[in-house]
Amino acid sequence: MSNLVETPHSDAEPLGERSKMASVSEVVTLYAICLFVALALAAVLVEFASDKGSWTTVYTVILDGAVRKPGRWGLTLGIAAPILLVGLGTIVSGRAGLVNIGQEGQLVIGAGVATYVGTRIGGPGPLALVVMLACGVVGGALWAGIAGALRFWRSVPEVLTTLLMGAIAANLVGWGLRNRFLLLAPPEGRANRNQVSESLATDRRIPRVEIFGNEFPLSIVLGIALAIIVWLVLGRTVVGFRLRMLGRNVRTAHRSGVNEKRYGIGAMLVSGGFAGLAGGVMLAGGDFGDYQLVANFGAGIGFAGLLAALVARQRALLLVFIAFLFAGLRTGSGFLRATGVSARIADVVQGTLVLAMLLPPAILYMRARRRVIAATSART
Amino acid sequence: MTSASDDRFVNGQFVNGMMGGERSSPPIVELIDITKRFGQIVACDRVSLTLHSGRIHGILGENGAGKSTLMKALIGLVLPDAGQIRLHGKAVQITDPIDASTHGIAMVHQHFSLVEALTVWENVALGDVGRLDHRHVRERVGEISEHYGLHINPDDRIADLSAGMRQRVEIIKCLRRDPQVLVFDEPTSVLSPSESEFLFAALRRVVQEDGKAVALVSHKLPEILSVTDEVTVMRDGRVVRAGKTAGTVASELARAMVGRDVVLRREHAAFGLVDPNDIAEAPKPTDAHGTTAASEAAAPVLRLVDLHLRGREGRALLAGLSLDVAGGEIVGVAGVEDNGQRTLGDVLSSLAELDSGRVEVNGVEVATGRAGAMGAAGIGVIPEDRHDSGCVLDFTVAENLFIADPDRVSRRGFMSVASMRQKAAELIRQFSIHCTGPDAPMWSLSGGNQQRVVMARELSHSPKVLVAAQPTHGLDVGAIEYMSDQLRIAAAAGVGVLLISTELEEILDLSDRIVVIFDGRIVGEMAKADVDVARLGLLMGGAGVARV
Repeated sequence: MSNLVETPHSDAEPLGERSKMASVSEVVTLYAICLFVALALAAVLVEFASDKGSWTTVYTVILDGAVRKPGRWGLTLGIAAPILLVGLGTIVSGRAGLVNIGQEGQLVIGAGVATYVGTRIGGPGPLALVVMLACGVVGGALWAGIAGALRFWRSVPEVLTTLLMGAIAANLVGWGLRNRFLLLAPPEGRANRNQVSESLATDRRIPRVEIFGNEFPLSIVLGIALAIIVWLVLGRTVVGFRLRMLGRNVRTAHRSGVNEKRYGIGAMLVSGGFAGLAGGVMLAGGDFGDYQLVANFGAGIGFAGLLAALVARQRALLLVFIAFLFAGLRTGSGFLRATGVSARIADVVQGTLVLAMLLPPAILYMRARRRVIAATSART
Repeated sequence: MTSASDDRFVNGQFVNGMMGGERSSPPIVELIDITKRFGQIVACDRVSLTLHSGRIHGILGENGAGKSTLMKALIGLVLPDAGQIRLHGKAVQITDPIDASTHGIAMVHQHFSLVEALTVWENVALGDVGRLDHRHVRERVGEISEHYGLHINPDDRIADLSAGMRQRVEIIKCLRRDPQVLVFDEPTSVLSPSESEFLFAALRRVVQEDGKAVALVSHKLPEILSVTDEVTVMRDGRVVRAGKTAGTVASELARAMVGRDVVLRREHAAFGLVDPNDIAEAPKPTDAHGTTAASEAAAPVLRLVDLHLRGREGRALLAGLSLDVAGGEIVGVAGVEDNGQRTLGDVLSSLAELDSGRVEVNGVEVATGRAGAMGAAGIGVIPEDRHDSGCVLDFTVAENLFIADPDRVSRRGFMSVASMRQKAAELIRQFSIHCTGPDAPMWSLSGGNQQRVVMARELSHSPKVLVAAQPTHGLDVGAIEYMSDQLRIAAAAGVGVLLISTELEEILDLSDRIVVIFDGRIVGEMAKADVDVARLGLLMGGAGVARV
């Protein structure tokens, strides 16, 4: 029947490629509108809900806290590093068509393993640092790998498993922190706190550099280097090509020789590995506590990295800037809190701004999808 | 010949009709000279059909004969361009299915629309307005089920039901509104033989006890013969034969269903396609390499041995399919939709793993279901649905040309953009792919050009076997011609071509040898020279095939 029912389409001229300039200005406008609306909303909220200062001062304080005040952009860079690393992992799994949303858990596991190794092994400092970071990578990778294995051998949706495994990870590390034989520091080292690990020895910390009065760990350099590598691998290598193919069309990929188990689980391992590395880097970098593991160590960095990858629309190089932006929001609103604005308001402002940055990619994605669907249905 | 149907029924005596006593039951629905065009194609050309109370009326035809369009006109899914629909003698206009249901016309579609997570009665109540009286709905479902012997428990969840049971739920959904006319579109396509028997028994009761009229759209000859009281055969949008079923022989119906006459051939040639006769007479491309007979004698490049595969619901998708294809020949797999063609295509695309059986290329067995194995063994595939397994819409044209073999444009694992662009540009030129360049996104291309990209890629791997599943589906005349030429050229170059198509025209045009697929296996074979259309029709309709 089908052949007669369908209107015959002439092989018309293919749609011209949209001019690049037009689409860039479109994207910028979209972001501008969303950010403006979010800022306006947040301003109204601050005006009404806060007795400490007007909305102008609130925004000034956020900006001060993120970059302007002395030493602040160094801190922002230090926080950006793990966000960037988590985001890179999210891009790898996302490009393979997998939705890993358990980075927070993979990160905590990575931090836990790194702590265990970093406080126990001997040997020269730099080598021990590399080994402990590598162990953190392996820890995060294996944690994500469980979800990957379940996905490809038992068809359990990875969205669920990664998220739920995150909850397990938090409790597992928390339990480790209560047990001396695992992570808990010896009694003399933990003052009055119950759940805290030993501090890393000074020679096992990531070196920090100081530029113009701003101090930050070298992990941000590592992050940027890895961003370039991820960009290269995804965009320029056969492996990356196959991975992207898998993410776009599983059946075509399978037919073309992409083993979805191998590539899919590989992508999950890499994704978890990046989160694990982020955990290790948080521990050894110095911007998250005193080089020691505490309860709730993740501090939402895993989720921030996931969001950053979404905002960056899975582009590794763009992610470098987005990660800095996210870190800036954190340091900025931390500063805001310090000025006396209620913590809740600061959180709401931050959330509104993040939402504003998430909307444009979502809109762009939906539009692209619709275009593909339109093209598909019009031309079959 | 188109409007011949009307008068034949008027005083017809329906000997095997169960309503033997009512010799002249008044027609419930009369479709008079219905015409529907889609663009240049006439789906229904002055088609007339009358449905009587207490009778099952079969509507027989190949894919694309216009059966479904006619039925869609009846239930308001399609508005006819011309013609009239009369209900109990009064002209009515049916604008949508809700309208049709208020007129007492309901349809059981080939594809079910049930919510798996809900129970039977919930599905039945779906779409009701106002307050939901669940006790009433459940009772009603139970009543209907009992009355017609459908054995459906209103509280079962759809997810737990077999295809046959699901269909009964669809039937209950229709019967609940107590329609006068029930339309069934290919109802047995998803059923096992025993489920089909059950369905027809229920249909008999519907017709006998309640005096409803049933229209049964089908392409299966045996069921038309055994179940219906009257039959209308359609071909190319016209009624070619109409009358009572009793006394009709399968071969007559088969000939009517697929029979080609001189007029049709000429129309066909006018479309720009090569006349099948011309091909037969013209020197064959294969002759350059040796006669067709010689190539038949040659060892097959592709050998399929006793392929078995069951679907998730336990239905046999492939049931002992065996087939050889020699290098340089085009083997056409004819058959009506849903007889295993899609599964065969999937197996040869590494997308399905066999339960048993062997696929051999040049005598070497190829593992089924393993990623890329078929492609690596030299089987190129132009899939039935190119968007499903033929290309990546979000990739560029250049990327799509190298998805199966990126190593050709890369060094040490790194892809060379320059070399990819350059080689893609060559292929684009060679296959006259109309696009803005190698970097154009695949979705921006028209269907015909997307198909050319797929074709270009598969042929650029110099395959030993080329599987083309519905290669011209949805393409316009020019694109069809191009695809056909490419298949001939491929065969001339020694590639074994397996053409899987539900378009008989296409099969007759291109194939050196024709096999017929029915219920997941090959049920007959004939050489190009001695094609017997009537026999072809019988085989496609499953007549004379022993059921297992």
